[in-house]
Amino acid sequence: MQSSEELKWALLIASLAMLAMAFCMIAFVMYYQKRRFEEEKKISDIEKNYNRLLLDTALNSEETERRRIAQDLHDDIGTMLSLTKLSLNQLSKLVANSGDEKEESIMKKSQSLVEETILHVRRITRDLVPTTLERFGLMEAIEEFIHKLEEDNNLIIAFQSNTEEFPRQGQKLELTLYRIMQELVNNAIKHASCTKIDIVLEIDEEMIGLRVTDNGVGFDPEKIKESNLAGLGLLGIESRLAIVNGTVQYEQPAKGGSSAIARIPVNPASGNKPEPLHPFRRERVNI
Amino acid sequence: MFDSHFAYIVNNPISSIAVFVTVLPLTLTIVRKAFFDQSLRLLFCYLVAKLIIDLAMLHFASHRTNNILFYNLSIPLFYALLGGMFYFKFSERSRRRFLIASIIGLFFFCAWDVVNSNEDLHNMREHRVVLYSKTVEGVLMILLILLYFYEIIKSLQIPNLLTFPFFWVCSGLLLYYSSLIFIAPVIHYAYTWNNTMDLGITEVIPSIFEIICALLFSVGIYHYSPKDYAKQ
Repeated sequence: MQSSEELKWALLIASLAMLAMAFCMIAFVMYYQKRRFEEEKKISDIEKNYNRLLLDTALNSEETERRRIAQDLHDDIGTMLSLTKLSLNQLSKLVANSGDEKEESIMKKSQSLVEETILHVRRITRDLVPTTLERFGLMEAIEEFIHKLEEDNNLIIAFQSNTEEFPRQGQKLELTLYRIMQELVNNAIKHASCTKIDIVLEIDEEMIGLRVTDNGVGFDPEKIKESNLAGLGLLGIESRLAIVNGTVQYEQPAKGGSSAIARIPVNPASGNKPEPLHPFRRERVNI
Repeated sequence: MFDSHFAYIVNNPISSIAVFVTVLPLTLTIVRKAFFDQSLRLLFCYLVAKLIIDLAMLHFASHRTNNILFYNLSIPLFYALLGGMFYFKFSERSRRRFLIASIIGLFFFCAWDVVNSNEDLHNMREHRVVLYSKTVEGVLMILLILLYFYEIIKSLQIPNLLTFPFFWVCSGLLLYYSSLIFIAPVIHYAYTWNNTMDLGITEVIPSIFEIICALLFSVGIYHYSPKDYAKQ
């Protein structure tokens, strides 16, 4: 009888111990899984931030390099061309006095070539560094960009904004939007065979939206993503947007063509009015 | 007509609840369409088989007829259905092979155990519970559950275990088999026709955890969503 009682207790204790172990095992799995997920999330966040920093540095370097090249073009080649033009002007007077028509025509041709080269150098420097953007803001820069494009191409480019006075944003944000607009418009011209491009810039209290729509051949956004984006420079757009917490969405409008919408959280320029940047000042740019 | 059944239920409320509580996860499986998932489909089959066997056992018990044969036969069947669930969850082929081998092995082991535990197989009145099979089944099930837990910790594919149906199923099974593993061999000596051994509260522990197990199954099935079944 006593052994039966002892067996009962032994069984009860053994079962309870086993159950306690089972409970502990379940609790351990839940706790350990949660902890590992938190650790993974931390690592992933660190990696994300690191990649963002790398990207930011790369873009900063690119802008600095653009500025340096623009500066060199202006300071060295630009100056030399101006001096060449002056010398040619002086020479032209001498040639005019000699009365040789052939020499005079060669001289005029040389002068016009030098003037054309000066104009090209000026255009390249402006393309490299968007001074209008830094001085007057996004709307003016886009308008200037459109104006230049319409001169060079047989294109209709429409630009509209939901505000007359687009508030100035942080330098990095404005430059990002400008470069994205440039990339999207260039893509439309290069790949879409379009005749019309619409650029819409919208701002509300929280977000800035940039929409570029063309009436070209269009593309399937999903296929483009699958085929690695790089060909259309869309990867560059996504990289730039990642730095400013922006997003991009590609659509195929029903009437044809393609549309890209970039959205970036508003980041107004700080209270101190930013000093207008001169494209040819030798300094490191921190965008 | 059901007087004897009612009398049995009143006299054995906990083990009777353990029988009828199976209806809850079963109903939830149908309502939530959980049988779209292969593992939960096997769980559904297990619940159906368990309900039928338990009702048959309850019927025979209420008529004071030996029902141990059902208990013995249910061991390889339940292990095949419950263990089979892990076949679709294990990613490693070696584990799947081990699982299939264990199902086949337990079937033969159980057959041997039935013969070994009963001197006269034709004497149904004196038929006795197998001595080792239930314990072996428990050990194998706990091993499968622990292997699966190891796999989910290692793979980190499930972001929230509390909303993952199979985790609840595994937890229920782990608790049930843990409660049974030491008691199972003793049942061989206790559940005899001329029983003189009283296990007291220990006897109802597996039934209590059978109820808890069914409730945990229900929680898991409740969290099941047909649109997410491919991810699970």
